[in-house]
Amino acid sequence: MSLARLSTGIAGFDEILHGGLIPKRAYLARGGPGCGKTILGLHFLNAGIANNESNLYITLGEPAAQIKSNGAIFGFDTQAIKFLDLSPGADFFTQVQTYDIFSPAEVEREPTTQKIIETIETIKPTRVLIDSMTQFRYLCSDDFQFRKQVLSFISFLLQAGATVVFTSESSPETPDDDLQFISDGIIHLDNSPEGRNISVTKFRGSDFIAGLHSLRISSQGMQVAPRLQPQSFKQEFILESISSGIPELDELLHGGIERGTVTIFTGPTGVGKTTLGLQFMKEAAGRGERSVVYTFEESEETLIARSQAINIPVDAMVKNGNLLVERVEPLLLTHDEFANQVRYEVEQSGTRIVMIDSVAGYRIAMRGADLQSHLHALCKYLQNMGVTIILINENETITGDFRATDLGISYIADNIVFLRYLEINGELQKAIGVLKKRLSNFEKTLREIEITRYGIKLGKPLVNLRKILSGTPEWINQDDNNK
Amino acid sequence: MSFKPLILTVNSNIHNLELLNQFLNREGYEVISVSNSEEFHDTINQSFQINLGLIDITGFDSSIWQWCEQLRNQEIPFLIISSRQSAAIQSKGFVSGASNILIKPLVIKQLFDFIKNVLED
Repeated sequence: MSLARLSTGIAGFDEILHGGLIPKRAYLARGGPGCGKTILGLHFLNAGIANNESNLYITLGEPAAQIKSNGAIFGFDTQAIKFLDLSPGADFFTQVQTYDIFSPAEVEREPTTQKIIETIETIKPTRVLIDSMTQFRYLCSDDFQFRKQVLSFISFLLQAGATVVFTSESSPETPDDDLQFISDGIIHLDNSPEGRNISVTKFRGSDFIAGLHSLRISSQGMQVAPRLQPQSFKQEFILESISSGIPELDELLHGGIERGTVTIFTGPTGVGKTTLGLQFMKEAAGRGERSVVYTFEESEETLIARSQAINIPVDAMVKNGNLLVERVEPLLLTHDEFANQVRYEVEQSGTRIVMIDSVAGYRIAMRGADLQSHLHALCKYLQNMGVTIILINENETITGDFRATDLGISYIADNIVFLRYLEINGELQKAIGVLKKRLSNFEKTLREIEITRYGIKLGKPLVNLRKILSGTPEWINQDDNNK
Repeated sequence: MSFKPLILTVNSNIHNLELLNQFLNREGYEVISVSNSEEFHDTINQSFQINLGLIDITGFDSSIWQWCEQLRNQEIPFLIISSRQSAAIQSKGFVSGASNILIKPLVIKQLFDFIKNVLED
């Protein structure tokens, strides 16, 4: 990218545009009512203020005073924005008798054009926002005239050295395809019941991140969470095994789990999946590494409290900055926004282990959006960054037919560790085993696992049992082994 | 151009008159405008030479046709402006001697072409 870029004032959106807008071009921001076209424009103008770039807001619909007061609510420095207010004033309505001899297109185009030319020549703006270009359509007698007018208007602005963002109100009745052809870039804003999103479909002279990206409008204005593109991230890391801190568990895994791999801890409810994940984090904290748990079901407090009770000092780990327990509220974030949170953790805070507790919770929280592809993208990204990923998967069945996962996500995993309830001699016991491990061999037998107040305890391999996966195993030689 | 043709504009709507006069002035015509019957009769009886009439019939009663006849009697060519296309207005207009009937909204360039044509005749 040799061309200098002009920031849009929205960090996530600049990323989508691979750095920002190319100067001295005209961009179309389109969308229905309430999609955030004006806010996007205000961000664009505001971004230039810091660099002492002059700006101009040409409004044809909403009065300037109203934009100023609304913009101030979002924290924009509207005083530093120059306005050319071409919106109809109140007197237009009170003047009962108006002309009908000529069409407004004939009468008003010239004075409007004149005003714009004069303002541009005095201010010489670097950034121009036209809100909205649709209004010009009514000042032209036909589509041909409109297109010609817009083209020459834009080239006038560009020659004056401005970068132009113009909005368009698109509806089925008045399509804006002509404007789309004219512009150097198209930004689509959409507001659907599933959430707001932004996308770019055209950007002359540059690549961009395609697809829909999550958009949020808050009191700070507009935030864009770019869609995660795992392939564009790559970090060198040593492919080493990380220990769990429990010798028997490391034996089971032939050394531990590797960096940059996805491990699924799967099993029925209450069997100790989260605890197992936290055990790896406890050991990582001992090495001074940082981990993050995204908990979708449990609250932060209960997680901390129950971990303390089994000798995993989550509280201290959090205090030392070696652990972050992040409760993710369901339905609040979109997958893009969540992915960006994770990215921030990894890129800014240097997190080495990420645990998602649980996959089912993640699916619900992400509004049922395509679970597999989003989780896949997130895991691929983390893998590329050398982060160890632990996914907690809860199986519906306590015993009975064995299934690795219920959500069809096994293929994502490099390692699958399963936990089971076993009924041995009328007693409920827990067992742990490894189903898959891509990068090394592993023990093919199961081990008994117990969670005590001193931590996780693993027993010797259960070699004399059969039908373990059924949940009701039998001793191969009852007499010899029954202790 | 030293000679400026004089155009009489008749219109019941002041805003229309203002606009029309503005455009005609800019194009280099002298304009005299009237918006009611008294003004019309005063103007028509003056001695100066009117080159063309632009009569917007909107808002006037049927006496407007008598005004048109008067213009024809004085050999002043005129164009009628109407807000809608109607056979009755067309036939009345041509009968009373209009050079042409124009329908609102007018296209400025077209209007000038009509005026030029009539004046050249």
